[in-house]
Amino acid sequence: MLPPQLSTLFLLALPSAVRAVFQDEVGHIDYHYELLGLPQRETTFFHRPRRDDKASLLYTLSDVGVLGAVNPSNGAIMWRQKLNGSTTNCGGFTRAGEDESWIASALGQSVHAWDAVTGRNKFWMDFAGEVKDLEIMELTESERKDLLALSDEDGTTVLRRLNGNDGSVVWEFREATKDIPLQASTNVGKVFVISLHGTAAAYNLKVSVLDTLTGKRLDELVIGTKGEVHSADDVMFVGANSASPIVAWTDDTRQKLRVNVLGTKSRQEFSLPTGTVSVEIHAPHLVQSDPHFLVHSRTATGNRADVYHVDPKTNTITKAYDLPLLSGPGAFSTTSNGANVYFTRITDDEIILLSSESHGVLSRWPLNTGSSPASAVHGVSEVVKKTGADTSYAVRTAAVTNTDDWVLVRNGAIAWARPEGMTGAVAATFAEIPESEDLVKSLEQEAHSNPLEAYIHRVNRHLNDLQYLPAYLNSIPSRLMSSVLGTEVSSKTGKLTRDGFGFHKLVILATRRGMLYGLDAGNSGKVLWGRRTVNLPQGSNWNVTGIQVHESTGQVTVLGSNGDYAVVKPDTGNVVDVAAPGPGRVTESTALVDTESGQRLISFGPDGEIGELPSNWTPKQTVVVRGSGEELKGVVFTANGTTSRGSTSWTFSLPQDQRVVSIATRPSHDPIASIGRVLGDRTVKYKYLNPNIIVVVAADDNASAFTAYLLDTVSGQVLSASKYEGVDTGKPIECAVAENWFVCTFFGQYTLRDNLAQSLKGYQVAISDLYESDEANDRGPLGDSDQYSSLDPIDTPTGVALPSVVTQTYILNTPLSALQVTQTRQGITSRHVLAYLPESHGIASIPRMFLEPRRPVGRDPTPAEMEEGLMRYHPNIEIDPKSIITHERDVIGVEKIITSPTIVESTSLVFAYGIDVFGTRVAPSFLFDILGKGFNKVTLVGTVVAITGGVLVLRPMVRKKQINALWTAPM
Amino acid sequence: MRLNPLLPLLSLLTLTAASPQTTTITLRIAPSHALLPNPNALAPATHATLSSLHKAKSAPLTVANTFVFGNVSAGSYLVDVHCATHAFAPLRIDVVPSEIEADGRLRVQAWETYRGNDWDNKGEAVPVGEAGLEVRVVGGKGYFMERSKFSVLSILKNPMILLGLVSMGIFLGMPYLVDNMDPEMKAEWEERQKTNPMNSIMGATTGGSGVGNFDVAGFLAGSSKKDEAGSGSGSGSGSGAVASSGKGESRKKR
Repeated sequence: MLPPQLSTLFLLALPSAVRAVFQDEVGHIDYHYELLGLPQRETTFFHRPRRDDKASLLYTLSDVGVLGAVNPSNGAIMWRQKLNGSTTNCGGFTRAGEDESWIASALGQSVHAWDAVTGRNKFWMDFAGEVKDLEIMELTESERKDLLALSDEDGTTVLRRLNGNDGSVVWEFREATKDIPLQASTNVGKVFVISLHGTAAAYNLKVSVLDTLTGKRLDELVIGTKGEVHSADDVMFVGANSASPIVAWTDDTRQKLRVNVLGTKSRQEFSLPTGTVSVEIHAPHLVQSDPHFLVHSRTATGNRADVYHVDPKTNTITKAYDLPLLSGPGAFSTTSNGANVYFTRITDDEIILLSSESHGVLSRWPLNTGSSPASAVHGVSEVVKKTGADTSYAVRTAAVTNTDDWVLVRNGAIAWARPEGMTGAVAATFAEIPESEDLVKSLEQEAHSNPLEAYIHRVNRHLNDLQYLPAYLNSIPSRLMSSVLGTEVSSKTGKLTRDGFGFHKLVILATRRGMLYGLDAGNSGKVLWGRRTVNLPQGSNWNVTGIQVHESTGQVTVLGSNGDYAVVKPDTGNVVDVAAPGPGRVTESTALVDTESGQRLISFGPDGEIGELPSNWTPKQTVVVRGSGEELKGVVFTANGTTSRGSTSWTFSLPQDQRVVSIATRPSHDPIASIGRVLGDRTVKYKYLNPNIIVVVAADDNASAFTAYLLDTVSGQVLSASKYEGVDTGKPIECAVAENWFVCTFFGQYTLRDNLAQSLKGYQVAISDLYESDEANDRGPLGDSDQYSSLDPIDTPTGVALPSVVTQTYILNTPLSALQVTQTRQGITSRHVLAYLPESHGIASIPRMFLEPRRPVGRDPTPAEMEEGLMRYHPNIEIDPKSIITHERDVIGVEKIITSPTIVESTSLVFAYGIDVFGTRVAPSFLFDILGKGFNKVTLVGTVVAITGGVLVLRPMVRKKQINALWTAPM
Repeated sequence: MRLNPLLPLLSLLTLTAASPQTTTITLRIAPSHALLPNPNALAPATHATLSSLHKAKSAPLTVANTFVFGNVSAGSYLVDVHCATHAFAPLRIDVVPSEIEADGRLRVQAWETYRGNDWDNKGEAVPVGEAGLEVRVVGGKGYFMERSKFSVLSILKNPMILLGLVSMGIFLGMPYLVDNMDPEMKAEWEERQKTNPMNSIMGATTGGSGVGNFDVAGFLAGSSKKDEAGSGSGSGSGSGAVASSGKGESRKKR
């Protein structure tokens, strides 16, 4: 065993071969959208993080579970925290105490308090049940402000008061009544716990009134709802922390709004406008604010609002005024400055500021949304009242639009917009920029006419092209200059054109909210278009099962899980064909297969069931589908007249207790440059190159183990199976396959098989190489035969030609996820394994060379092995910061990484999505075929100029000297 | 206010009551370290993780530069601190199931651990104090590669270039030195040169013939023999450039 100091030294020596990012390439080759997710209505607010500082920040807990602070003046992220390990689907709470320098958040089972300026944690607590509500007690018996956390611990409603300084529990209120806790609320003297009581058919509202000091129950009120409340969602609003908190719900037909002032038994009814589809209630959250609230009712075409006042003494609610019906959905936001309450109405073309006192418009601004029309869905506002000779107001509103952007409107003008809709991405693909349609057409025409006509057409076309020559010649000097100076050539026409290196591609990104985005990977990932392609019902996600770029037309097909699909043009996002999700067909998965009519995306129902396909869609390959339970099926399609049907060719059932956790296939573009590896002694180890292999990882939770099965997809034959024991199956197990090797990563804790005295613990990566034979210079049972069939085992005693597997395991300093392998055009460039580091928030590019299973164990490599580039095996691989392609960027929540080859062999395009969006290009074997930024063209040109100048100066001098020498008399 | 003295006791009671078999682990970053002088500048995304088989916990960096793990049950944990700018040494923390401290919590022991080594190959024990245990900074993380810059100095520093420059200096300076010598001394020196066995190899004398006579500047200026022959300038020209047999011969030509 190496002494630890020595091992660190050794590891530091390793990374010299790693291709790191150069500082001057940042922002040039890579792009990153630092995103939060779509802000939620209840968890977004402006807050002043410092008591004596006027400046406020914009805080939000988004629908993907990221809490962050944004500078409202420029939209830059001040800090952000991912609250949950995984991407969440809405939910969570954030609250800030007035004038406090911290904010509190709750998501899942944890309650956190954060420093509002730095984003550092103040304290955090984990509770047994899910947190249902979080409130701040503005007024306590001491100086500090405390937190109220309501949680549901398996039928027991628990309300805890947490000390605002350290999170310790001040008191705890428990009630095991199987009620559904809804919300906690507090006014000056009491704490209310509102829960749903009764049966699912007809819930009543139960309000428990608690003492603020001890948490003892003072009173309990049950408010009848006449069976109008069926679930927690039916209760629209429970006013928190205002002087007179209220609870409101509507009847089933949305004709009446019923409101109860907490602490009283009575409820009041107000009629809603006819045709109301949805109702929202906006009220201030501060104790010192006037207890006014606004009811925003949306009809199918327009929206209106009514403002009500609560009399805190008599607890009666009176209607103050109403706002006219305007078209569009509209949005309202509430702002309270001390006792004053302002409502901001955002319509499609105007921002209107109102006081809660009277219907007089305080100020209004025309809304200039620029070129892209979008309407606000919900928003938050900050109102500044300028007192002086004439009272004026300034309003800034951060609104979420129906195109999933988050925009800040300052007095009617858009200050910034953040494309937060790109979070929650579920699928993405690279697409080529479509060639000009005219050219395609003319080429087709030429191909189909007789040679003479084609020639004349061609000459005419070229003559016609001459008109572009002056423009082209004009552009040469500027292109030359930018090429020498290394600046970007900006396309003046704004037209998307392919470049000679193939870096200029489009990325089509689909999000779970039904949006499609087109990004320009060649131009710093600029968002070219964003379009809502499918309209999803409330609360459901777009489950994209497949995405494919059509080879010839360049169109992108996105398949959803409910028979829905969308076909769009990649450069403009124009929808060619779309189908809304329907109840009929359910698509579980899709597969990209080769058919007679090119590549097709075919979809499978539950249990891998496939209907009939048109005969020209008949897949040429065996299709592997997940069957019912834990089994895989190989399906072969046979054409029968005009249709083709699939029949099961083989079934692979996992042993009991095992479940499939991950399946990896070879990338669709995986060219092999060399069929063997030349060893140091000039012998060759031949790679096992089977295009039909998949790796199935099956975990056994009870035994804490997983097995990696290598399957032949044509025959269903298990080519190799390796079992890893002592594996945490609760932590992600992932794998990736390329060429003749596959990698798996997992968390392991086990005793070594060859040395029972030793044990290991940590995240690990196992790599397996497949060769045709254990021996070098041996092509195994298949020999040099040109053809072979997986279905007809060759005539050998061993039966099927099984690969020789060499495996090695390495221990890592950080977990890996979203494994992917770089792709290059010819596969000559060595491959890197790309992996997201979920803890370090970066993407590592690990050279395959380090993960080499043939590294000599327990001895130094022989000179022959050194020649091969093999290093001595050391169980530890520290991910070197220089191998992190995201370098200093904080990239969170990456779910998947995709790669694409470019025209130049050295480079592979990389795109990562999930929450953040990141793209770059990597050159695993360095940039050997293009001049990088490091090539100093200025120096080169300068040197040539200097030498030319020197020669020009020296030439007459030398000539003169020579003539003088000739004419001098010999001595 | 009346309640305040009760609060700590209450909280302690609830903690111990709710979690009899757990403990709280606090990790601390040293307030000042040679490699990390100001831990307050660390990014808020910095966090620590506890991992073991079927167990995982994560704690964010607090305002006080600590990581607090509550409700940690008995077991042997691997502790990693994940930070974008600095690397920290991994720790092994054991929460001993049978030993309960005075405050009703489980006992915590910590050691440095070495990845890729036996788990029981513990390093130095890390003292577990009142304020938690300290995590050690190993160093800063450098993500970028330095681009080699073009610099005249770096070229001049190259020993090959230096050698070349020195020999060029001698080569060019020698004739002047020889010219400035006393006639007697010069004669003596030339005599010595003739007897020098190296000369036969070099084939060159002071004036320079053969290789030494090659006129670099003239060649660059394009005054080759052919060129001048074509232009017909001067008889017997090009001796400077092409003469191969030495000075004497060219003199004879004239």
